[in-house]
Amino acid sequence: MRPGTLLRLALAGTRTDTARVVLTALAAMCAALSILSAATVFAISGWADQYTNALLIEPGLRPGTALALLLLCIPVLALAGQCSRLGAPARDRRLAAIRLAGATPRQVTAVAVTETAVASALGALLGIAVYAGGRALLHRPGPDGRLPLPTDQLPPAAAIGVVLVGLPLLASVAAAVLLRRAAFTPFGVVRRQRTRPPNPWPAALVIPGVGAFVVIEPLARWFQRAEAPMPLWVLSLLLGGGGLLATIGVILGTAWLSHTAGRVLHARGRGPATLLAARRLMADPWTGSRVFAALLACVLVGAGAAGVRAWFTAGFEVEQASNRAWAEAAGETYLDDSDRYAFYYRAFDLINAAVAVAVVIAALGLLVFAVEGIVSRRRAYTAMVATGVPRRTLARALSWQMLAPVVPAIALALVVGLAMPRAMSREARSGRQSGTVCEADDPALCEALDSPYLRTVETPEFVQPVAIPVGQLAVIGGVALAAVTVSLGVSLLFLRSSTDISDLRTT
Amino acid sequence: MNSLAVSVTSYLLLGLLATEPRHGYDLKRAHDQRLPGTKPVPFGQVYATLSRLERDGLVAQVGTERDGGPDRTRFGVTEAGRQRLEEWLNQVEPPAPYVTSALLAKVMVALFVAGVERATDYLIAQRAAHVARLRELTAVKTDPGASLTEIVTADFAIHHLDADLRWLTTTLDRVADLHQEVHQ
Amino acid sequence: MSTSAILQARGVVKSYGPTPALRGVTLAVDEGEILAVTGPSGCGKSTLLHCLSGILRPDAGEVSWCGQRIDSWPEHRRSQLRRGEFGILFQFGQLVAELTAVENVALPLLLSGVRRRAAVTAATTWLERLGVSEVADQRPGEVSGGQQQRIALARALVTEPRVLFADEPTGALDSLAGEQVLTELVRLARQQHTTVVLVTHDASVAAYADREIVLRDGTVDETGLGLHAVPAGRAVHR
Repeated sequence: MRPGTLLRLALAGTRTDTARVVLTALAAMCAALSILSAATVFAISGWADQYTNALLIEPGLRPGTALALLLLCIPVLALAGQCSRLGAPARDRRLAAIRLAGATPRQVTAVAVTETAVASALGALLGIAVYAGGRALLHRPGPDGRLPLPTDQLPPAAAIGVVLVGLPLLASVAAAVLLRRAAFTPFGVVRRQRTRPPNPWPAALVIPGVGAFVVIEPLARWFQRAEAPMPLWVLSLLLGGGGLLATIGVILGTAWLSHTAGRVLHARGRGPATLLAARRLMADPWTGSRVFAALLACVLVGAGAAGVRAWFTAGFEVEQASNRAWAEAAGETYLDDSDRYAFYYRAFDLINAAVAVAVVIAALGLLVFAVEGIVSRRRAYTAMVATGVPRRTLARALSWQMLAPVVPAIALALVVGLAMPRAMSREARSGRQSGTVCEADDPALCEALDSPYLRTVETPEFVQPVAIPVGQLAVIGGVALAAVTVSLGVSLLFLRSSTDISDLRTT
Repeated sequence: MNSLAVSVTSYLLLGLLATEPRHGYDLKRAHDQRLPGTKPVPFGQVYATLSRLERDGLVAQVGTERDGGPDRTRFGVTEAGRQRLEEWLNQVEPPAPYVTSALLAKVMVALFVAGVERATDYLIAQRAAHVARLRELTAVKTDPGASLTEIVTADFAIHHLDADLRWLTTTLDRVADLHQEVHQ
Repeated sequence: MSTSAILQARGVVKSYGPTPALRGVTLAVDEGEILAVTGPSGCGKSTLLHCLSGILRPDAGEVSWCGQRIDSWPEHRRSQLRRGEFGILFQFGQLVAELTAVENVALPLLLSGVRRRAAVTAATTWLERLGVSEVADQRPGEVSGGQQQRIALARALVTEPRVLFADEPTGALDSLAGEQVLTELVRLARQQHTTVVLVTHDASVAAYADREIVLRDGTVDETGLGLHAVPAGRAVHR
């Protein structure tokens, strides 16, 4: 196929198709920005005093910062994946028609992939442009000449290459994989089969996930007794692997949760709205759960971070208590160095901010899904309105449909997210401090080991149980729920225009 | 030859003669030419019909040509003949599955004898008769006490009448088009 | 207009953008009668049905039901009418795909506030009346076209409406299935003394009605396809 034809076929389409292309480009732009910023941070070398932010200065923290920036790619890509479903039925029909006109499956896949490739290439270019612009605009050295952001640093050329070439390539491959199904059927037939309800067993992955965290402390003690340091890879495996398993478990369990929510709604619901919502959830619990995945992952990370923060707080308090006790026992003045902790708290705040951003991105994906759900079922809804179903009832049904599974899912994600750090340790111990203090004014008198001026001081071990950060969890859950509700509300605005009765096709 | 076919052919020939007087051979040719799709009428039937029409006073001889061959007597339609034709064109055929050829004949004759307006009037009237009969037959079919044979027979008539009805409607459209062309 | 007329249209005009669909339709439907509205495709039959049933508001003219003008009613009142007093049957696409047959039939009752159990009982009765009770727990996509239309008919009749509007109800069915649906429709309508407005282009379907009105190019054809009738798209020359 000639490139011109390919381009023409790929970019033909309606408003929905244009929206899809635009959203793909935007998602690619955000991913590009994330990669470029991460690469920039990574490119800073040594102790970078020219910055104000400790996350940029200290070489020990920078990899973490870079990783966090890179991880922001994930919700963006999830959103992009969600957007690729926009107008998918119409696009699949179009591809099927092209296939019917004689195109081979490879050609049809090429057409579809070209759209994604072009959109993401545009987005990548846009990302580079925005990055360059941001670099110039945000270059604001303070009065001491230090910069808040690494705007004096260029990312390595390899990163730019990854963005320019890798992003479109990755997007194209993903699109090709996802479209395998559509390219094979020239008729684009959707067979309506009664599929089996989802299994709850995949959710059981949560158990080994949390279990990995339970194992950490006894394992650490075992290593301590064996007087060998716990190798980093073991710790990383337990932490990373456990976290991943738990997250996947929660995400996979959402389908079962949606279906069960439908069943409960069907049994307990009274009116037509709950009936419609219940049946819809039971008929298709999978599409919704795919969309919730990103949101739930954010909630999980947020809850985990809250748990870790609580653990840190307990640790700090215990440390402070121990230091205070020592100062008292040793007759020294207590030095309050609690602003040392402020750095850690700032890091946690940054994590929360990142989680909030990710929640917003996930909510955008939810909005896209909700709108697409309404618009693609336009004919069915219009026929319902024509036969007397009020739009109010439809709106209520859609609300139940989204909120009934999401609320327990968020609760589950909060619980699992918190369970992980709590499984690791539920109390902070300070450890005993013991040492000798010189009572004489002349330190030379204390030099002998059996000097009578030496006094041993001991402080007991302080134990503080790690508090359950109920407030924080409530905030995280509340924000997630609010994001879902706002997305739902905005999507319902499309209901009226989608059920315009003059579009009724009854014959 | 059943009597119905004969009488339809009689009216057809009468109609052809009403446009202009012809002799037997010419009449047969005109019939076959202007009514493609109907069976070509045998000469014997033409002469037999002509003599019967003459006997009934509907046609009369109007002249003889002697061309150095067999006698070519030209026949023309009489006033009584025209009147009879007129009556026939005004009648609606009772709707039944086997009456299709009579419908066609009447529309043909109306078109080339009486003109587009008459054809339209006839088509409208015939359509109304067909619709009424369809309604009757449907009532028979949906009667809870109807036996299978009654239903099957009614269905037969319904399907054929439905086909006739479609043809009547389409022909009306065509004739209306023709009328626009003629009167523009 | 006859005094027993339950539904009336006077000079109804409706256009879709620049395209006129109805150019002034006047008709009256008597209570308890079965009226067929026929005509070639594109003559505005479906639009007329939508205007008569309150789905659409005409651009001009009046639609009256039991003496009240429903064309000026707000959407929620007309929607209520379509839920209760009017029953509507389309050619396809009116059943909710996720609900079972009995739930589909019970839906109008649920919308009117009837309790779930009572609604399901009534729905089951109607499914029995229409001979589709064996598919009560199946979804529309799992049953045949004829059964779907009978379920849809049950849904249209479950609220015991005064008027049933049917738009090509058998258009997607083969002749035997269509015959079944129409026979049931007429039987139940006569039983409940329901008025029926039946839109169709098929003469054998129109034959089930008591009376026929022919639409041509957006108006009622009084002469029944007379010369005053204009082939679609051309102006009238007299």
